[in-house]
Amino acid sequence: MKDVLEEATEIWFGPQHVSAHGWAAKLTLVGDYIVECDPNAGYFHRSAEKCLEFRDFRQGALIMERLCMLEAFLAEYPYVSAVEKIAGIDVPDRAKIMRTIMMEASRIHSLQFWWGQFAAELGLFTMLLWPWVDREFFLDAFEELTGSRHAVSYNTPGGVKYDFTDKFLSKLDRAIQRLEERMPKFRDMLLRSPTFKVRTKGIGRFDANQGLRWGISGPNIRACGVPMDLRKDSPDENLTYDMADWEVPTYTNEDHPGESDAYDRMVQRFLEIETSVDIIRQLLPQVPEGEIYERKARGKVNRLPEGEAYGRVEGTRGVTSLYLRTMDKAQTPYRAKIRGPCFNSYYSLKHLVPGNKFADFIVIFGSLDPYPGWWDR
Amino acid sequence: MQIDFFQWLAGIPTWLYDIIMWLHGIIVWIFNGVWGIFVFVWAAVVGNFWFLFRAIIFPGLVFIVLGIIFAVWFTRKMWGRIQDRRGPTHIGKYGGFQLFADAIKLVSKETIIPDKAKRWMFRFLPCLLLVIVLLPFAFIPWSPSWFIADLSVSLVLIFAFLTAVPVIALLAGWVSGSKYSLIGGFRAANNQFAAEIPMIISSVGPTLLAGSLSLMGIAQAQSNVWFVVLLPINLATFMVSSIASVGTFPFDSPVADSEIIFGWRTEFSGIYFTMTYFAEFAEQMLYSAMMVALFLGGFHGLPFLPPAMNFIIKFLIVFFLYIVVTSSFYRLRPDQIVEYCWKYLLPLSILNVVLAMLAIVYLPGLAGLLMIGG
Repeated sequence: MKDVLEEATEIWFGPQHVSAHGWAAKLTLVGDYIVECDPNAGYFHRSAEKCLEFRDFRQGALIMERLCMLEAFLAEYPYVSAVEKIAGIDVPDRAKIMRTIMMEASRIHSLQFWWGQFAAELGLFTMLLWPWVDREFFLDAFEELTGSRHAVSYNTPGGVKYDFTDKFLSKLDRAIQRLEERMPKFRDMLLRSPTFKVRTKGIGRFDANQGLRWGISGPNIRACGVPMDLRKDSPDENLTYDMADWEVPTYTNEDHPGESDAYDRMVQRFLEIETSVDIIRQLLPQVPEGEIYERKARGKVNRLPEGEAYGRVEGTRGVTSLYLRTMDKAQTPYRAKIRGPCFNSYYSLKHLVPGNKFADFIVIFGSLDPYPGWWDR
Repeated sequence: MQIDFFQWLAGIPTWLYDIIMWLHGIIVWIFNGVWGIFVFVWAAVVGNFWFLFRAIIFPGLVFIVLGIIFAVWFTRKMWGRIQDRRGPTHIGKYGGFQLFADAIKLVSKETIIPDKAKRWMFRFLPCLLLVIVLLPFAFIPWSPSWFIADLSVSLVLIFAFLTAVPVIALLAGWVSGSKYSLIGGFRAANNQFAAEIPMIISSVGPTLLAGSLSLMGIAQAQSNVWFVVLLPINLATFMVSSIASVGTFPFDSPVADSEIIFGWRTEFSGIYFTMTYFAEFAEQMLYSAMMVALFLGGFHGLPFLPPAMNFIIKFLIVFFLYIVVTSSFYRLRPDQIVEYCWKYLLPLSILNVVLAMLAIVYLPGLAGLLMIGG
C-alpha cells in the first residue's frame, strides 16, 4: 500500500498570508485535505515579559494592554491585580464597579471585532463592516473616557485613572442601544444565514473533555456546555460581578451535547455579548459616589515588599493571568509570567485541523477567536 | 586611356539632372504609394464607416471600456452603501475618477515576476484573458441596428469563448510558480466544471422558444412575451451559475483571499493585475447583458425609448442584482459549489424547460404569442 504522505504537499499558511497576521502554520495537504497541521508561534514576539522587568509598577499595565489592544481594559487588569495584592492596596468601591463596567464594555467591543473578522475570513465583507461600524460607538465612548481609542491605560494599582462623565455615560448608553438595535440584524446575517450554516456546522468540533485537556477556556469551552467562568467561579475582590444578577452563558447544542463546532461558538459569542450588556445595564445605576483612586497607593506602588502574586481575569478569549514576583523594596518586578488565553486554542489546531478540507482551516482558526498577541508575549 | 577633361565637364549638368530626376522619381513613388494607401483606407473607412464606428465607438471597444469603468465605480459605490460606508468619494464627482487614479497607480507600479514563473506565459496570459473576455461583446444585440456582428450561432460561440477563461486561470496559476496560485487555478477550473453545464442548459430554454441560436434572433423573438414569463427559474439558475462561473462572492473560492491569498491572481502585479481585474468585471457585464438578451426581452421594452436605451436600463438593473447577491452570502467551499450546482441548479434548469414545453402545449394561444410556427 502506498503511503498517502508520498503525494503530500507542504504549504505555509503565513507569515505573509493576508489572514495570518503575525502567525504561521505549516500545513501538509493530500489533495484538498489537510493531514497535518503544525502551528508556529514566535512571529509576533515583543518580549513583553522582559519589558515588564524594566518598567515600574505604574508603567507595567501599559505594556500589558498592548498585548491585546482589543480587550485593553481586561488585558491590563491581571498585572494591576497582582501589584495590588503584593502591595496590599484597598481599592475604593467606586473604582471597583467602574473597572467592572469598562471590562464588560471592552469585552463587547472585542467580540464585535471578532464578528467582523470571522465573517471576513468566511468571505462576506458586509458583515466585516457592519459590526465594525457599531464598534466605533464603543471606541468613541472609550475616547471620551480616556482620551484614546485603543491604548486606554485606564486601570492602575489603586483604582482607575479617569472618572465617568455625563458625556461618557451618554455615549456608552448610545453604543449599547445601537448594539441592541442591530442585534436581530446580526442574528439574521450570522446565525440564520444558510451559507454561514453550511460553512460552520460540524467544522472544528471538539468535546468538553478534549477542550479541558488542551487547556481551552473562555467562550470556546463554554460553548461545549461547561459553565467555566472566572467571573463566577472565583470572584475577584476588586471587581463587582456579584452585584449583578447574571448566569454564566453556556450553549448546548441538542444535536451534539457536550461538543462544540464553529457554529456553536458563534452562538456562544452572541450569549456572551447579551450577558455583558446585561451586566453593564445592572451595574451602571449602582455606581456609588466616592473616590476613584486610593491615595495611599501612590506611595505604596513606588517600592513593593518581597512577595509573589497571581492576578487573573476572565478575558474575552479565556483565562488571562499573570504571575508576579518581586524582591524586597523592588521598583520593578523580578519576574512576570503572562499566561495568555489563546496559546492553548492556537495549538489545539494541531488536533482540530487534520482531516478537514483546506478551505476549512481558516474557519476553524477563526472560530476559536485567537489573537496572536496572546501567544507571542 | 586619357580622360577628355572638357567632355567630362560638359557632362556634369546631365549628371546633376539625372540625379535630380532620380530623387524626383523616388519622391513621386513614395507619394503615389502613400496616396494610394490613403485612398484605400479612406475608401475602406467611408465604405465601412458604420461598421467601424460600431466596432470601435458605440457598442464596441470604447463603450465597453467606459462601461467597465462605470461598472467598477457602480459596484464599489453600491457595496459601500450596503456595507454602511460611502465608497470612493474624493477623486472626481462622487469618486467617479477613482478607477482612473487606481489604474494609473497600478500601471506605474513595478512588475514583479517570481523566479519560478514562466516569464513569457506570465506576461501573455492576462492580455489573452482580457481579449477573450472582451470579444463576445461583439454579439450582444444592444438594439436592432446597434450590434457588431450577428452570427447564426453566436450563443454557442460566446460559450466557447468563455470556456477558455478558467483554462487561462488554471494556466496562470500553473505558470506563476506559487502553490497558492496553483490551488487557485484548480479552484477556478472546479468552478467552471460546476457551473458551466447548468448555465448552458439554462440557456436552452430561450433557444428552443426562439428557434434560433443567435442572440439577436432570441432578442427579436421576445417582442410579444419576454421569456422570463415562461422561464423564471431558468433566469435564476442562469444568474447563479454565471456568478459561479465568474468567481465572485459567494462563489469566489478561486480568489478566496482569506484562504489562498488571491488565488490564481496572487503573483500578478501592476498592469497584469489590472487586466485580470478588468476581465472579471467585463465578464460580469457580459453575463448581465446575456441575461437581458436571453430572458428579459433584449431591446424590447418601453416603446417611447430608443431600443438601446431599453437594453441598457435592463442591463443596469441586472447588474445591480449581481451586486446585491455578491454582498450578502458567505463564501462556499469548492466541493459545496459543485454539490449545489449539480444537485440543485441542473435539475431546476431542466425542469423549467419541461414546464415551458408543457405550457406551450396546454395553453392555447401561447404559441401564437411566441411566434412559434404551427
